[in-house]
Amino acid sequence: MQRFIRRALAGCCVAPLLLLAVRVFAEENNGSWLESLSHVPFEYNAEDTYVGGGDVQRGPNKSVNDFDENDSIVHLVFTPRTKLGVLRIGTDWERFSFGLPNHAALPDTLQSVALVMGLDMQFSDSIIVRAEGQPGVYDAEFDNLGWDNFNLPFLIGGTYIYSPNLQLILGVSVDIERKYPVIPAAGVRWKIASQWLLDAVLPTPRLEYEMNKDVSVYVGANVKQTSYRVDDDFGTANGIPRLNHAILTYSEVRTGGGFDWKISPIVTFTGEVGYQPYRNFDFYRAEVRYHQDGGAPYGMISLHGAF
Amino acid sequence: MMLMKTRMLYLQRCCSVRAGGLLLLLLVLRVGLTTANADAISELASFSIFDKVDLAQLAKSDVKTAHGPPMSNPRFLAVQSCYVASGSSPAQQMQALRQWDATRHRELKVFLHSDLPSNPTTANFEKLRNAPNNAPVRSFVAATEKLGPDLQISKEEAKKFSAGAGGGGGGTIPAPVVAFWADVLTARTKSFVSGGMSAQPPYDHAGPSIRASDEANGLLREQGKIRNQFSGLLGSTGIGRGAGSLKPELYWELLEADDQGVVTLGASYSRSGGGGTYQAGDVLYYASGGYYVALTLYQLWPVTVEGKPSTLVWRGDMISAASLGTLHGVERLGSESVMMKNITKAVTFFRRDTSGGR
Repeated sequence: MQRFIRRALAGCCVAPLLLLAVRVFAEENNGSWLESLSHVPFEYNAEDTYVGGGDVQRGPNKSVNDFDENDSIVHLVFTPRTKLGVLRIGTDWERFSFGLPNHAALPDTLQSVALVMGLDMQFSDSIIVRAEGQPGVYDAEFDNLGWDNFNLPFLIGGTYIYSPNLQLILGVSVDIERKYPVIPAAGVRWKIASQWLLDAVLPTPRLEYEMNKDVSVYVGANVKQTSYRVDDDFGTANGIPRLNHAILTYSEVRTGGGFDWKISPIVTFTGEVGYQPYRNFDFYRAEVRYHQDGGAPYGMISLHGAF
Repeated sequence: MMLMKTRMLYLQRCCSVRAGGLLLLLLVLRVGLTTANADAISELASFSIFDKVDLAQLAKSDVKTAHGPPMSNPRFLAVQSCYVASGSSPAQQMQALRQWDATRHRELKVFLHSDLPSNPTTANFEKLRNAPNNAPVRSFVAATEKLGPDLQISKEEAKKFSAGAGGGGGGTIPAPVVAFWADVLTARTKSFVSGGMSAQPPYDHAGPSIRASDEANGLLREQGKIRNQFSGLLGSTGIGRGAGSLKPELYWELLEADDQGVVTLGASYSRSGGGGTYQAGDVLYYASGGYYVALTLYQLWPVTVEGKPSTLVWRGDMISAASLGTLHGVERLGSESVMMKNITKAVTFFRRDTSGGR
């Protein structure tokens, strides 16, 4: 559930929410704000992925070939403990850059800046529920931003702790701008043996092997799907006027193997390489879709951890 | 309800003086019992997280568990639980707690348990030779033979293993490993008897020095209400301090923690209080891995539920472990849930075994 959906999150108005989180935390611990600030727990992730030349196709004749991709993520979420549970207040930024040829009717940038507003609640000794929204701006170029660039995708997921070694996860992801606004998902987290862990939970299902206390290797996948709004004149500029200000749902799947190296208790370095077998640019309301025609290799590095 | 009350009043008027006296006595007893119940509930609310408890409801249900207050030290975790043991007094419950054998239940992952005299010898740990052949025990042996960094011993104790290693032996736990642990556990038990937890050597074999007594005191310091409630008992024990005036019941166990076999030393204390109440404390003051210290406190009150003498039991479990320090956010919630489940499981088995459960 922790990674049920990892999405880009927010920026400019995070400060008031952060102060709220600190205040709640301070009241919980009867401490001063300043003292509490130094103890506010948080999690972070800085990640970059490079995907080599791939191809997509629209209909039988319109192809966009050999374009690369760069996906960057910065994620910072404060996780203070309150009486209600663990608050999740923070921000997330994600940017896809595509090295497209000039004639392609596809945006060369997709980006989002969003807040993270969530809560992990313990309902009993067996059930933990996460409710999290990611209100923010989901756009191509960040030009002429308006209210319709705003979106509020959210998820609600529950973990049933059957035993310390087996947890079952059920959840639902909601995004009204997506082709399929409601997507249910189920997963399992099963510690098969002392060094083997099957973490089959979207968006990053994995089979992990713990080599030692600091290093794990894994094979797995990363499933991404986010909706963005393109520019007002995007369609006109590309010869398809109905794509002006249209919604684009971008999806991709990466499969590969990697390692987690715990450099310190608060810093983990992850490296991953693999193949991207699926990619889809879908202007579903305008009925224009570019689907995968040729996969591509990729490499990813990230620094992440929690205090 | 109103009809019942009218009939009772009418019956009372018809009663003889003698019967009236008996009724008065019963009424006084009932008031006394109600007061005892109210006192227990109010005392429970004063120091625990259970601020509202319905005894009748609790008696019909399984154990009620909840996580303790958040603590600033990330190594610490606490869970509180309460339940009603129907049909038995606090004294009977205490006796049952002392005699209960957790090794009967494989799910609790206690492989060996043995009581210890106050002046133990290495022979008291001979049962280690009979350890089951399973993955946690094998990893315990491997960690000992490598003197791995996760092994919680002192530098001085680690040197003893180097001197004693190299011998042969068979069984799940080789003879040199048994001999090493018998030496370590004997010496640690003796130092506990003479000087309480304060006299325990630190865990400093590989990493920063950690003292179990500091961890126990830290756990109690962060839960001030519980520390105050049990100050009388704790002040008479060796928990987090020098040897106390109360005589401990000593034991050792081989159990599983975080998939690893762990040898641990424990001490139990109890004392009766006013009005038939009891307090008890059980501390695992040494562990070869998995956790630094684990402390369980009990408060037992005599109550009456549906006319039966029963016991209201509060139990506070607190633990300090290095692995907890690495958990954050939902992972920490998850570990609390697992601890709550484990405690529920243990209490359920205990109640079932002692016929008090349902």
